[in-house]
Amino acid sequence: WFHTLQVRRLRVQRGRSNSDPLGGNSFEQDFQWKTGLQFGTANSYLNLEKLGEGAYATVYKGISRINGHLVALKVIRMKTEEGVPFTAIREASLLKGLKHANIVLLHDIIHTRESLTFVFEYVQTDLAQYMTQHPGGLHSYNVRIFMFQLLRGLSYIHGRRILHRDLKPQNLLISYLGELKLADFGLARSKSIPSQTYSSEVVTLWYRPPDVLLGSTDYSTALDIWGAGCIFIEMLQGAPAFPGEADVFEQLQKIWAVLGVPTEESWPGVSELPNYKPEWFLPSEPQQFRTVWKRLAQLPYKTEDLAQRTLMAMPRDRISAQDALQHPYFNTLPPPIMQLRDTVSIFKVPGVRLETEVRDIFSPSRRIKPSLVPLAKCW
Amino acid sequence: MEGPSSRSAGTREGTVCSAGRRGSCEDAETDPARDMKTHFRVCRFIMETGVKLGMRSVPVATACVLYHRFFECVSVRVYEPYLVAMSCVYLAGKVEEQHLRTRDIINVSHRYFNSGSAPLECDKEFWDLRDSVVQCELLILRQLNFHVSFQHPHKYLLHYLLSVRSLVNRHAWSRTPVAETAWALLRDCYHGPMCIRHKPQHIAIAALYLALNSYGVELPVGEREWWQVLCEDVTKADIDAVISDLLQLYDMEAKCI
Repeated sequence: WFHTLQVRRLRVQRGRSNSDPLGGNSFEQDFQWKTGLQFGTANSYLNLEKLGEGAYATVYKGISRINGHLVALKVIRMKTEEGVPFTAIREASLLKGLKHANIVLLHDIIHTRESLTFVFEYVQTDLAQYMTQHPGGLHSYNVRIFMFQLLRGLSYIHGRRILHRDLKPQNLLISYLGELKLADFGLARSKSIPSQTYSSEVVTLWYRPPDVLLGSTDYSTALDIWGAGCIFIEMLQGAPAFPGEADVFEQLQKIWAVLGVPTEESWPGVSELPNYKPEWFLPSEPQQFRTVWKRLAQLPYKTEDLAQRTLMAMPRDRISAQDALQHPYFNTLPPPIMQLRDTVSIFKVPGVRLETEVRDIFSPSRRIKPSLVPLAKCW
Repeated sequence: MEGPSSRSAGTREGTVCSAGRRGSCEDAETDPARDMKTHFRVCRFIMETGVKLGMRSVPVATACVLYHRFFECVSVRVYEPYLVAMSCVYLAGKVEEQHLRTRDIINVSHRYFNSGSAPLECDKEFWDLRDSVVQCELLILRQLNFHVSFQHPHKYLLHYLLSVRSLVNRHAWSRTPVAETAWALLRDCYHGPMCIRHKPQHIAIAALYLALNSYGVELPVGEREWWQVLCEDVTKADIDAVISDLLQLYDMEAKCI
């Protein structure tokens, strides 16, 4: 399970009762900061429950003592030998400069003698949990608004020459309203003009594009677009697009089974990539996406067209995030959605709201209407 | 802002790594002038350490910018500058993804201050020094509020050099080391806080301008100056300001040796 290697988020079943911010806990009982700290800010938040554990941090749900807002507290483990983990440094320095409705907001950084805590806005769930809760593919309208927000966030960071490098459903946070926010910028980096060789092993295998799997290191924004395409298919289909189980080779084989084995004609330069060994690959011809992923056959052609433009084998052929937002697939959304300021959520546009999913494993018959959770807006 | 732990870390180690280096300036000097000299020497230390550790030029530049940003708002008399410099090198390695080991940084620094002596034993002194470097890294992050990703002039200079080369007579270009000189000038900018006072594009333009002028390489004259074509918002006054700062640094170099 490659996708669980980097962030082992605990599958805590967080019901919809999160709208009760205190969750019945008393303040004193759960207060875990050591007393006697001279840094006031550490006292401003109260830990409520553990949400998950990552490679270098533990994430807690917390509440601000000042305004009562829920927050996510990412407590960085500091190693005495190595100091602050470099992923934490990069995440903080990048997020400080990013203010966008589809990027998770970093409120504050708390320093104490032994620890470092990043205070993020609290978002109720993530796309992986959302898809688990609604198996068998999401409502096609919801896929459209999630995909639009994902591309909107990518377009923003790509415009600032930043790559996310680690897109996967676990890193896309989803609020009650349906707002999608890119999170976990630990592997992200600013992209400088002379494209350097970046370290090769970064993206989770399932969402990793073929050029990177083949050993290319001069990747750019097209890297994130492939990940977005895989997530697009996964949202529609309810199953990962390319679920390779073993190694890079098997992952490539899954991709070739759909796109066909690339040749110098279809992808000039492919034979020079380090891992390109055509004799290892079973011969396979390009397939129509709708025959591989059946849900596409039930939807208008432009859905399949967008999927095809994001999942091109050759990175240069892949559509940019900015162009993808103009794709006819999004024509059915209200036009004002295209003219929003960076920090404004698409749910401010009249008529944009999350549709009720057909399948729900927690409440097969009942679903809380968005109007019942008015607090969700301020988080 | 200043944690008591880090402060003690900063001063405690001052005696370890730089006892022989400080105090060489005359007492009669004014404080700002003396501080400038200290920073100049420490930056030279950063660059030398960087070369010995095999760092690429951008991480070295990042280490220097971290150093200057740190001392932008705190006094050099409160924190031991060489310790801060060691932590800047370490932190720059993390920021630029060229990871360094604290052990290597300490050994190289030890050699810098005690040339010819054996490496430090893995005793209490070594571990204390390492803890100080790690603690000081956190202090820098706090002081800079995690603003540790910088735009450097390097990528702009590369781009400008490629553009200018295509405008210049091929033989004139191969006879004169314009590119090498421009890179050397750029590196030297990092000896002083001028590297954080000017926009990276302006520094790159000024380095190229000075290099071309030094060798008398002429560029074809058009409607606009070549530097206006390459960088839209730069003025002659900006270029002059960078060059003046740079020449001051060379002036100081003479006094520091």
